Amino acid sequence: MSILVRGAELVGRPVVTLAGEVECQVKDVVVHRKAGELIGFTLAKRGLLGGPRKDVLPWEGVHGLGNEAVMVPETAAFTPAEEMAERTQRKGADVLTDRVLTDSGTDLGEVVDVVLEVHDGDDAKAEVVGYEVQASPALSQDGRRVLIPLPDTIAVSGEHLIVPDAAREFVSYDLAGFGAAVEGFRSRLRGEG
Amino acid sequence: MRFSESRKRQVVGTSDASQVGRLRHFVVSPSNRTVTALVLDKTPGDEVLVDWSELQAFGRDAITVTSAESFRAPHGQDEEQAIKGKLDVLGKPVLTERGDGLGELEDVDFDAETGEITALQTSREEVRGHRLIGVGSYAVVVSAPER
Repeated sequence: MSILVRGAELVGRPVVTLAGEVECQVKDVVVHRKAGELIGFTLAKRGLLGGPRKDVLPWEGVHGLGNEAVMVPETAAFTPAEEMAERTQRKGADVLTDRVLTDSGTDLGEVVDVVLEVHDGDDAKAEVVGYEVQASPALSQDGRRVLIPLPDTIAVSGEHLIVPDAAREFVSYDLAGFGAAVEGFRSRLRGEG
Repeated sequence: MRFSESRKRQVVGTSDASQVGRLRHFVVSPSNRTVTALVLDKTPGDEVLVDWSELQAFGRDAITVTSAESFRAPHGQDEEQAIKGKLDVLGKPVLTERGDGLGELEDVDFDAETGEITALQTSREEVRGHRLIGVGSYAVVVSAPER
Protein backbone atom coordinates (compact mmCIF):
# COMPACT_ATOMS: atom_id res chain seq x y z
CA MET A 1 0.00 0.00 0.00
CA SER A 2 1.22 3.49 -0.67
CA ILE A 3 0.00 7.04 -0.51
CA LEU A 4 0.75 10.08 -2.65
CA VAL A 5 1.43 13.37 -0.94
CA ARG A 6 2.76 16.76 -2.00
CA GLY A 7 5.86 18.07 -0.27
CA ALA A 8 4.01 21.26 0.65
CA GLU A 9 1.38 19.26 2.56
CA LEU A 10 4.09 17.89 4.82
CA VAL A 11 5.38 21.31 5.88
CA GLY A 12 4.12 22.03 9.39
CA ARG A 13 3.17 18.39 10.06
CA PRO A 14 3.80 17.48 13.69
CA VAL A 15 6.53 14.95 14.46
CA VAL A 16 5.07 12.70 17.18
CA THR A 17 6.67 9.87 19.15
CA LEU A 18 4.98 6.49 19.55
CA ALA A 19 4.58 7.53 23.20
CA GLY A 20 2.24 10.33 22.14
CA GLU A 21 4.55 13.32 22.72
CA VAL A 22 5.04 15.97 20.05
CA GLU A 23 8.67 16.79 19.37
CA CYS A 24 8.63 19.45 16.67
CA GLN A 25 7.20 19.97 13.21
CA VAL A 26 8.39 19.46 9.63
CA LYS A 27 10.04 22.58 8.21
CA ASP A 28 11.02 21.29 4.79
CA VAL A 29 11.23 18.17 2.70
CA VAL A 30 14.73 17.20 1.50
CA VAL A 31 14.95 15.15 -1.68
CA HIS A 32 17.81 13.71 -3.67
CA ARG A 33 17.39 15.40 -7.03
CA LYS A 34 18.85 12.65 -9.18
CA ALA A 35 17.82 9.52 -7.31
CA GLY A 36 14.38 10.97 -6.77
CA GLU A 37 14.23 9.84 -3.15
CA LEU A 38 13.06 11.47 0.01
CA ILE A 39 16.15 11.85 2.18
CA GLY A 40 14.40 13.32 5.18
CA PHE A 41 13.04 16.44 6.80
CA THR A 42 14.41 19.63 8.24
CA LEU A 43 12.66 20.58 11.44
CA ALA A 44 11.17 23.59 13.15
CA LYS A 45 10.01 24.14 16.70
CA ARG A 46 6.29 23.84 17.19
CA GLY A 47 3.90 26.70 16.77
CA LEU A 48 3.19 29.37 14.18
CA LEU A 49 6.45 31.19 14.84
CA GLY A 50 8.51 28.09 15.51
CA GLY A 51 12.09 28.81 14.54
CA PRO A 52 14.29 26.25 12.77
CA ARG A 53 16.02 23.48 14.67
CA LYS A 54 19.61 22.56 13.94
CA ASP A 55 18.99 18.84 13.73
CA VAL A 56 17.18 16.97 10.96
CA LEU A 57 15.12 13.80 10.67
CA PRO A 58 16.44 11.28 8.12
CA TRP A 59 13.87 9.06 6.41
CA GLU A 60 15.38 5.99 8.13
CA GLY A 61 14.38 7.51 11.45
CA VAL A 62 10.72 7.74 10.49
CA HIS A 63 8.40 5.03 11.82
CA GLY A 64 5.37 6.11 9.84
CA LEU A 65 4.08 8.94 7.64
CA GLY A 66 0.32 9.37 7.45
CA ASN A 67 -2.34 11.97 6.86
CA GLU A 68 -1.85 13.75 10.18
CA ALA A 69 1.60 13.18 11.59
CA VAL A 70 5.14 11.93 11.08
CA MET A 71 5.67 9.22 13.70
CA VAL A 72 9.07 8.51 15.24
CA PRO A 73 10.18 6.01 17.91
CA GLU A 74 10.37 7.29 21.47
CA THR A 75 14.15 7.54 21.25
CA ALA A 76 13.87 9.60 18.09
CA ALA A 77 16.83 9.50 15.68
CA PHE A 78 17.45 13.13 14.83
CA THR A 79 20.85 13.82 13.26
CA PRO A 80 23.01 16.89 12.71
CA ALA A 81 22.12 18.86 9.58
CA GLU A 82 25.60 18.41 8.03
CA GLU A 83 25.06 14.67 7.60
CA MET A 84 21.97 15.21 5.48
CA ALA A 85 23.62 17.95 3.42
CA GLU A 86 26.32 15.49 2.32
CA ARG A 87 23.72 13.10 1.01
CA THR A 88 22.05 15.67 -1.19
CA GLN A 89 25.37 15.88 -3.07
CA ARG A 90 24.98 19.54 -3.71
CA LYS A 91 24.88 21.51 -0.50
CA GLY A 92 21.90 23.82 -0.49
CA ALA A 93 20.51 22.17 -3.62
CA ASP A 94 16.83 22.69 -3.91
CA VAL A 95 14.72 21.20 -6.63
CA LEU A 96 12.26 24.06 -6.34
CA THR A 97 12.73 26.68 -9.11
CA ASP A 98 14.45 24.15 -11.33
CA ARG A 99 12.89 23.98 -14.76
CA VAL A 100 11.63 20.78 -16.35
CA LEU A 101 12.79 20.13 -19.91
CA THR A 102 11.81 17.30 -22.19
CA ASP A 103 14.41 15.25 -24.09
CA SER A 104 13.58 17.21 -27.22
CA GLY A 105 14.18 20.50 -25.46
CA THR A 106 10.67 21.75 -24.65
CA ASP A 107 10.35 23.67 -21.42
CA LEU A 108 7.42 22.36 -19.38
CA GLY A 109 7.59 24.82 -16.52
CA GLU A 110 9.13 25.68 -13.17
CA VAL A 111 9.04 23.21 -10.30
CA VAL A 112 6.92 24.45 -7.40
CA ASP A 113 6.58 21.21 -5.42
CA VAL A 114 7.39 17.50 -5.40
CA VAL A 115 4.94 14.59 -5.28
CA LEU A 116 6.07 11.78 -3.01
CA GLU A 117 4.90 8.19 -2.99
CA VAL A 118 5.24 6.76 0.52
CA HIS A 119 5.19 2.99 0.85
CA ASP A 120 4.10 0.91 3.83
CA GLY A 121 5.99 -1.74 5.71
CA ASP A 122 9.57 -2.25 6.87
CA ASP A 123 12.29 -0.71 4.72
CA ALA A 124 9.57 1.39 3.17
CA LYS A 125 10.74 3.84 0.57
CA ALA A 126 9.54 7.35 -0.04
CA GLU A 127 10.09 8.19 -3.67
CA VAL A 128 9.68 11.36 -5.70
CA VAL A 129 7.27 10.22 -8.41
CA GLY A 130 6.32 13.59 -9.82
CA TYR A 131 6.84 17.33 -9.91
CA GLU A 132 4.22 19.98 -9.62
CA VAL A 133 5.13 22.73 -12.07
CA GLN A 134 3.86 26.15 -12.93
CA ALA A 135 3.04 25.14 -16.51
CA SER A 136 4.84 26.78 -19.41
CA PRO A 137 2.88 27.83 -22.54
CA ALA A 138 3.83 24.47 -24.07
CA LEU A 139 1.59 22.74 -21.52
CA SER A 140 -1.08 25.28 -20.71
CA GLN A 141 -2.33 28.70 -21.81
CA ASP A 142 -3.11 29.97 -18.32
CA GLY A 143 0.04 29.09 -16.37
CA ARG A 144 -1.86 26.73 -14.08
CA ARG A 145 -0.16 24.12 -11.91
CA VAL A 146 0.10 20.61 -13.29
CA LEU A 147 1.66 17.35 -12.12
CA ILE A 148 4.31 15.71 -14.28
CA PRO A 149 5.21 12.04 -13.65
CA LEU A 150 8.86 11.06 -13.37
CA PRO A 151 10.84 7.99 -14.38
CA ASP A 152 12.74 5.98 -11.76
CA THR A 153 15.87 8.05 -12.08
CA ILE A 154 15.86 11.63 -13.11
CA ALA A 155 18.34 13.25 -15.47
CA VAL A 156 19.70 16.46 -14.07
CA SER A 157 21.59 19.09 -16.02
CA GLY A 158 22.48 22.22 -14.12
CA GLU A 159 19.19 23.79 -13.06
CA HIS A 160 17.20 21.63 -15.44
CA LEU A 161 15.49 18.33 -14.82
CA ILE A 162 15.13 16.34 -18.00
CA VAL A 163 12.17 14.05 -18.63
CA PRO A 164 11.28 11.86 -21.61
CA ASP A 165 8.87 13.47 -24.11
CA ALA A 166 6.24 10.86 -23.25
CA ALA A 167 5.75 12.56 -19.87
CA ARG A 168 3.61 15.18 -21.63
CA GLU A 169 0.97 12.56 -22.34
CA PHE A 170 0.60 11.71 -18.66
CA VAL A 171 0.33 15.18 -17.16
CA SER A 172 -2.35 15.38 -14.41
CA TYR A 173 -4.28 18.20 -12.83
CA ASP A 174 -4.76 16.71 -9.39
CA LEU A 175 -3.42 14.02 -7.11
CA ALA A 176 -6.47 11.76 -7.44
CA GLY A 177 -5.57 10.35 -10.83
CA PHE A 178 -1.85 10.87 -10.54
CA GLY A 179 -0.96 7.38 -9.24
CA ALA A 180 -2.39 5.89 -12.40
CA ALA A 181 -0.56 8.49 -14.51
CA VAL A 182 2.79 7.54 -12.95
CA GLU A 183 2.12 3.84 -13.58
CA GLY A 184 1.02 4.48 -17.14
CA PHE A 185 4.06 6.62 -17.85
CA ARG A 186 6.52 4.10 -16.43
CA SER A 187 4.87 1.27 -18.37
CA ARG A 188 5.28 3.34 -21.50
CA LEU A 189 8.99 3.80 -20.78
CA ARG A 190 9.38 0.07 -20.34
CA GLY A 191 7.85 -0.36 -23.78
CA GLU A 192 4.64 -1.83 -22.43
CA GLY A 193 2.12 0.96 -22.93
CA MET B 1 -17.50 0.72 32.46
CA ARG B 2 -16.57 3.97 30.67
CA PHE B 3 -14.21 6.82 31.53
CA SER B 4 -16.81 9.45 30.68
CA GLU B 5 -19.46 8.13 33.08
CA SER B 6 -16.98 7.65 35.94
CA ARG B 7 -15.94 11.29 36.17
CA LYS B 8 -16.12 12.75 39.67
CA ARG B 9 -17.24 9.43 41.16
CA GLN B 10 -16.90 9.42 44.94
CA VAL B 11 -14.21 7.33 46.57
CA VAL B 12 -15.36 5.82 49.86
CA GLY B 13 -13.22 4.36 52.64
CA THR B 14 -14.81 1.16 53.84
CA SER B 15 -13.15 1.27 57.26
CA ASP B 16 -15.34 4.18 58.35
CA ALA B 17 -17.78 4.59 55.44
CA SER B 18 -16.71 8.17 54.79
CA GLN B 19 -15.92 9.83 51.46
CA VAL B 20 -12.17 10.13 51.12
CA GLY B 21 -11.95 11.59 47.65
CA ARG B 22 -13.39 12.03 44.17
CA LEU B 23 -12.11 10.67 40.86
CA ARG B 24 -10.39 13.28 38.65
CA HIS B 25 -8.19 11.42 36.18
CA PHE B 26 -7.36 7.89 35.11
CA VAL B 27 -3.69 6.89 34.83
CA VAL B 28 -3.31 4.50 31.89
CA SER B 29 -0.30 2.27 31.23
CA PRO B 30 0.12 1.70 27.50
CA SER B 31 2.46 -1.24 28.03
CA ASN B 32 -0.18 -3.19 29.99
CA ARG B 33 -3.22 -1.58 28.39
CA THR B 34 -4.70 -1.12 31.84
CA VAL B 35 -5.69 1.57 34.25
CA THR B 36 -2.86 1.49 36.77
CA ALA B 37 -3.90 4.28 39.10
CA LEU B 38 -6.47 7.01 39.78
CA VAL B 39 -5.85 10.69 40.43
CA LEU B 40 -8.27 12.06 43.00
CA ASP B 41 -9.27 15.37 44.46
CA LYS B 42 -10.98 16.28 47.71
CA THR B 43 -8.65 13.94 49.59
CA PRO B 44 -8.02 14.43 53.34
CA GLY B 45 -4.25 14.88 52.92
CA ASP B 46 -1.89 15.96 50.11
CA GLU B 47 -1.66 12.50 48.55
CA VAL B 48 -3.87 12.25 45.48
CA LEU B 49 -2.76 9.02 43.76
CA VAL B 50 -4.15 5.58 44.47
CA ASP B 51 -2.94 2.43 42.71
CA TRP B 52 -5.54 0.24 41.04
CA SER B 53 -4.29 -2.65 43.17
CA GLU B 54 -5.30 -0.74 46.33
CA LEU B 55 -8.94 -0.44 45.26
CA GLN B 56 -11.48 -2.77 46.80
CA ALA B 57 -13.94 -2.19 44.02
CA PHE B 58 -14.73 0.19 41.14
CA GLY B 59 -18.50 0.34 41.29
CA ARG B 60 -21.15 2.28 39.40
CA ASP B 61 -21.90 4.58 42.30
CA ALA B 62 -18.70 4.55 44.29
CA ILE B 63 -15.11 3.44 44.19
CA THR B 64 -14.09 1.75 47.44
CA VAL B 65 -10.75 1.60 49.24
CA THR B 66 -9.95 0.52 52.78
CA SER B 67 -8.96 4.04 53.76
CA ALA B 68 -7.12 7.16 52.57
CA GLU B 69 -3.91 5.61 53.91
CA SER B 70 -3.51 3.79 50.60
CA PHE B 71 -3.13 7.14 48.80
CA ARG B 72 0.38 8.18 47.81
CA ALA B 73 2.54 10.84 46.18
CA PRO B 74 3.58 10.60 42.49
CA HIS B 75 6.74 8.69 41.51
CA GLY B 76 8.51 9.93 38.43
CA GLN B 77 7.78 12.40 35.66
CA ASP B 78 4.89 10.52 34.07
CA GLU B 79 2.95 10.48 37.33
CA GLU B 80 3.75 14.16 37.95
CA GLN B 81 2.26 14.91 34.55
CA ALA B 82 -0.70 12.64 35.25
CA ILE B 83 -1.71 14.43 38.45
CA LYS B 84 -1.73 17.71 36.51
CA GLY B 85 -4.12 16.13 34.06
CA LYS B 86 -1.66 16.34 31.17
CA LEU B 87 -2.07 12.65 30.37
CA ASP B 88 -5.85 12.72 30.45
CA VAL B 89 -6.80 10.76 27.35
CA LEU B 90 -10.31 12.01 26.62
CA GLY B 91 -10.33 14.69 23.89
CA LYS B 92 -6.83 13.90 22.65
CA PRO B 93 -6.17 13.14 18.97
CA VAL B 94 -5.78 9.43 18.25
CA LEU B 95 -2.97 8.63 15.81
CA THR B 96 -1.97 5.29 14.36
CA GLU B 97 1.70 4.32 14.36
CA ARG B 98 1.59 5.13 10.63
CA GLY B 99 0.70 8.75 11.34
CA ASP B 100 -2.96 8.58 10.27
CA GLY B 101 -5.56 10.36 12.38
CA LEU B 102 -8.56 8.44 13.73
CA GLY B 103 -10.29 11.46 15.21
CA GLU B 104 -10.50 12.54 18.83
CA LEU B 105 -10.74 10.11 21.72
CA GLU B 106 -14.29 10.41 22.99
CA ASP B 107 -14.40 7.59 25.51
CA VAL B 108 -12.63 4.52 26.86
CA ASP B 109 -14.25 1.21 27.79
CA PHE B 110 -12.57 -0.67 30.61
CA ASP B 111 -13.15 -3.76 32.73
CA ALA B 112 -14.12 -2.53 36.21
CA GLU B 113 -12.76 -5.69 37.83
CA THR B 114 -9.30 -5.80 36.26
CA GLY B 115 -8.74 -2.26 34.99
CA GLU B 116 -8.05 -3.64 31.51
CA ILE B 117 -8.79 -1.21 28.65
CA THR B 118 -11.10 -3.06 26.30
CA ALA B 119 -11.86 -0.42 23.69
CA LEU B 120 -11.16 3.18 22.66
CA GLN B 121 -14.05 5.15 21.17
CA THR B 122 -12.83 7.81 18.76
CA SER B 123 -14.97 10.33 16.92
CA ARG B 124 -14.69 8.03 13.88
CA GLU B 125 -14.46 4.45 15.00
CA GLU B 126 -13.95 1.95 17.80
CA VAL B 127 -10.41 0.67 18.35
CA ARG B 128 -9.79 -2.54 20.31
CA GLY B 129 -7.92 -1.84 23.57
CA HIS B 130 -5.01 -4.17 22.79
CA ARG B 131 -3.95 -1.75 20.03
CA LEU B 132 -3.01 0.97 22.51
CA ILE B 133 0.71 1.70 22.33
CA GLY B 134 1.18 5.22 23.68
CA VAL B 135 -0.44 7.80 25.95
CA GLY B 136 1.23 11.19 25.86
CA SER B 137 0.48 14.83 26.51
CA TYR B 138 -0.22 15.41 22.80
CA ALA B 139 -1.86 12.25 21.49
CA VAL B 140 -2.94 8.68 22.08
CA VAL B 141 -1.13 6.29 19.72
CA VAL B 142 -2.47 2.94 18.53
CA SER B 143 -0.96 0.21 16.42
CA ALA B 144 -1.88 -0.07 12.75
CA PRO B 145 -5.07 -1.99 11.96
CA GLU B 146 -4.68 -5.63 10.99
CA ARG B 147 -4.98 -6.20 7.28
